[in-house]
Amino acid sequence: MSLDPRAHAAFAAAVGAENIVDDPVRRRAYECDGLTGYRVVPDMVLLPRTAEEVAASVRVCHEHGIPFVARGAGTGLSGGALPVADGVVISLARLKRVLEVDPENRRAVVEPGVTNLEITGAAASHGLYYAPDPSSQQVCTIGGNVAENSGGAHCLKYGFTTNHVLSVEVVLPDGTLVTLGGDSPEQQGPDLRGVFLGSEGTLGITTKIVVRLLRTPETVRTLLADFPSVGEAGDVVSDIVAAGIVPAAVEMMDTLAIEAAEEAVHAGYTLGTPAALVVELDGPVEECDDQFEQVKVICDKHGCTRLHIAGSPEERAAIWRGRKAAFAAVGRISPDYFVQDGVVPRTRLAEVLGRIADMGSEAGIRVANVFHAGDGNLHPLVLYSAAAGETERAEKLSGQIAELCVELGGSLSGEHGIGTDKACSMPKMFSEDDLAVMQRVRTAFDADGICNPGKVLPTPRLCGERPGKYSPHPLEESGVIERL
Amino acid sequence: MTSTEHGAAPTTLRPENLHEARDAVLDTPGSLGITGAGTAADWAGRLRDVDAVLDLSGLHGIIAHNPGDMTVSVHAGTPLRDLQAELAEHGQHVSLDAARIADGATVGGLVATADAGPSALVHGGMRDLVIGTTTLLADGTVARSGGHVIKNVAGYDLAKLMHGSYGTLGALVEVVLRLHPTPKATGTVALACPLAEAAGHASRVLESPLEPTALEWISGERSTSEQGRLLVRIESTEAALPARMERVAALLGAGAETTSDDVWDVHVSLVRGSGDGAVLRIGARPSRLPGLLAGLPCTTVTAGLGTGVATVTVPGTAVAEAHEAVHAVGGTSVLRRRPAGLDAPAWGPPPSALAVLNAVKAQFDPDGRFGPGRFDPWEIP
Repeated sequence: MSLDPRAHAAFAAAVGAENIVDDPVRRRAYECDGLTGYRVVPDMVLLPRTAEEVAASVRVCHEHGIPFVARGAGTGLSGGALPVADGVVISLARLKRVLEVDPENRRAVVEPGVTNLEITGAAASHGLYYAPDPSSQQVCTIGGNVAENSGGAHCLKYGFTTNHVLSVEVVLPDGTLVTLGGDSPEQQGPDLRGVFLGSEGTLGITTKIVVRLLRTPETVRTLLADFPSVGEAGDVVSDIVAAGIVPAAVEMMDTLAIEAAEEAVHAGYTLGTPAALVVELDGPVEECDDQFEQVKVICDKHGCTRLHIAGSPEERAAIWRGRKAAFAAVGRISPDYFVQDGVVPRTRLAEVLGRIADMGSEAGIRVANVFHAGDGNLHPLVLYSAAAGETERAEKLSGQIAELCVELGGSLSGEHGIGTDKACSMPKMFSEDDLAVMQRVRTAFDADGICNPGKVLPTPRLCGERPGKYSPHPLEESGVIERL
Repeated sequence: MTSTEHGAAPTTLRPENLHEARDAVLDTPGSLGITGAGTAADWAGRLRDVDAVLDLSGLHGIIAHNPGDMTVSVHAGTPLRDLQAELAEHGQHVSLDAARIADGATVGGLVATADAGPSALVHGGMRDLVIGTTTLLADGTVARSGGHVIKNVAGYDLAKLMHGSYGTLGALVEVVLRLHPTPKATGTVALACPLAEAAGHASRVLESPLEPTALEWISGERSTSEQGRLLVRIESTEAALPARMERVAALLGAGAETTSDDVWDVHVSLVRGSGDGAVLRIGARPSRLPGLLAGLPCTTVTAGLGTGVATVTVPGTAVAEAHEAVHAVGGTSVLRRRPAGLDAPAWGPPPSALAVLNAVKAQFDPDGRFGPGRFDPWEIP
């Protein structure tokens, strides 16, 4: 324990001694999040029960210069909740009340430890639901969703967390409690709520969230279609978009991902098919039916080899079970794997998949692909065996895939975040000036640099950067940006 | 070339590209007001006396439109109206229907003023449509954030910081937008009724699965004593629109009728305001909006019954008390048009995060060069 005893006493006063975890064994439970390759045991874990206790804890950190990391369910995949050496973890697990469901204004007020799915659970009796649906929605918390600006399968039509949060109560890194956003979309000055959403726990800790709720759609139509190639499945997506249809979701899986998912959950996908598409439409019945017929015609036109239409809610659930199980299911066909998260402009999907296949062959590593085809968000699953000494090669390939996405005009991350994992790749996507300006934002919120330090933005200590001679930025080379 | 008009103060700088804009900011000492088409010059706090005006309307045109990806990047001085015309050829549009688009408002200006129209009910505002920005700061730094893809969580989202900043933090020079397909068919159902009654109808529409794109009550054009109307806009396919319109009309009951989409021009003119009144933009919890508006001396009203966003005209002398009334129900308000000579506060009480706004300002524009006065009477330097 390297914590100053005075700080220890102050934390005990802030949350109560019984709500402090300092036993070394119990502290280890907090050493990593869903990205298990990075581990740091925190000096102390605090379990506040109220916003006031969170604020009091942060004030102690502020007064003693102790870095802190907020933690929800710990399901993040980018190491955003990785503890900091000589720092504390502030767990929001005990702030888990649904404070209000307001059907008249279609909103709910919740604490950060409420899970994503619990919000919909609380709203369902009013015919309302909370739209963003990350695959981990049964366990991930809304506080974590706010930090990561989480997406999900349905964000092509419905948007991300940022589009569904009206306001957040935030404990700033100096311990003051403020509200960002308000009762309506009207703003009072710059959209600080929008800046905070997706800031990966680096600008403060949210203690209360007001979310928008949507009316449950009247109709949902879901189909599963097989195609002779990923290219043809991609053409189907292009034609759907060109027809002016905005599907609720369009998901694609390749042979290897299907094999894994089928082995795990037997959802009725076709083994051996090169590509499968899940297309879901929702909305008023007349429009949904009209557009669903158009989608079927488009599938046929592109050589669909099997079209399965969900005939019941159970059949729809089975299709989604296969898709959502894919990540964990690859554990059945590979001893170890990395989940990657990158984005390319949707029209470059076929190209990026070809490049990934080539890179995989070259590295001698298999890659299974699951992706949100509607918005170009890829989740390549890099399969390897640590026992066979493949870890380093697989990790390198995984990183190269994310950087390839940037090269093709996309992004390092669509929904998992930068966190610890990709902070050192940020210079591939942003210039020094871009990153320096992002640092100004961070400094405005956290002048002392104690709020989840080391995440999102690269630091020399973290990344071993050495000043070198000028070389053109990849975006400059591709003509996307110009250097002044 | 940067053109510089001599004579009348302040100087106007009108760069035609990013390089010239950056040079203009670096070469011009003192304070700068940033403007696009000038369609919101009156909004928010009154710009204090500045040394020069940076007019970005010379930075216009599409940089790249990718129809298959449904994204477009533009120079920030591009009028959205012009952009929509080009996108229409591809069956696409930016899902924003703010009133002043018709006046030539620029993409950058619409972001900086956080403007939105009735379809914000479904599509949100510019903050929900911008996926990337390039911003010029007061010290000449050029910073990009976001990118060219719809889904992207890499780095802080500077577009949000610029949204609603009224040119006080930086000058937007390039903006990347996500696009939506232009609806194949659009229709409006109208029902003449007072606001309180409209609110009840609106609740039933929102409880139903009818998914309106806009749900607004408008007052009579000249005075609230004229009969107002509830407007329900439906966007759909040609095949499905008639049935959806019928269901809306049936739900609203006697008196509901299909009306020409021209009725939205009336909405636009009410949002603009006319005569010698002051225009206030108000946001509040939707259920509180009708009661709030009933207590204000409004001469005209548009009220978003799903969004909680209203635009009202009130006598200039009533602005200060209107701010108080809105604040008392937890809402927000800002002055959008001030009669000549009116010395009323532009904003209601400041938000709880005023210290953060000040800290951001200090980081982005430590010398207070850009847009002085826009957040008066709050104490932002």
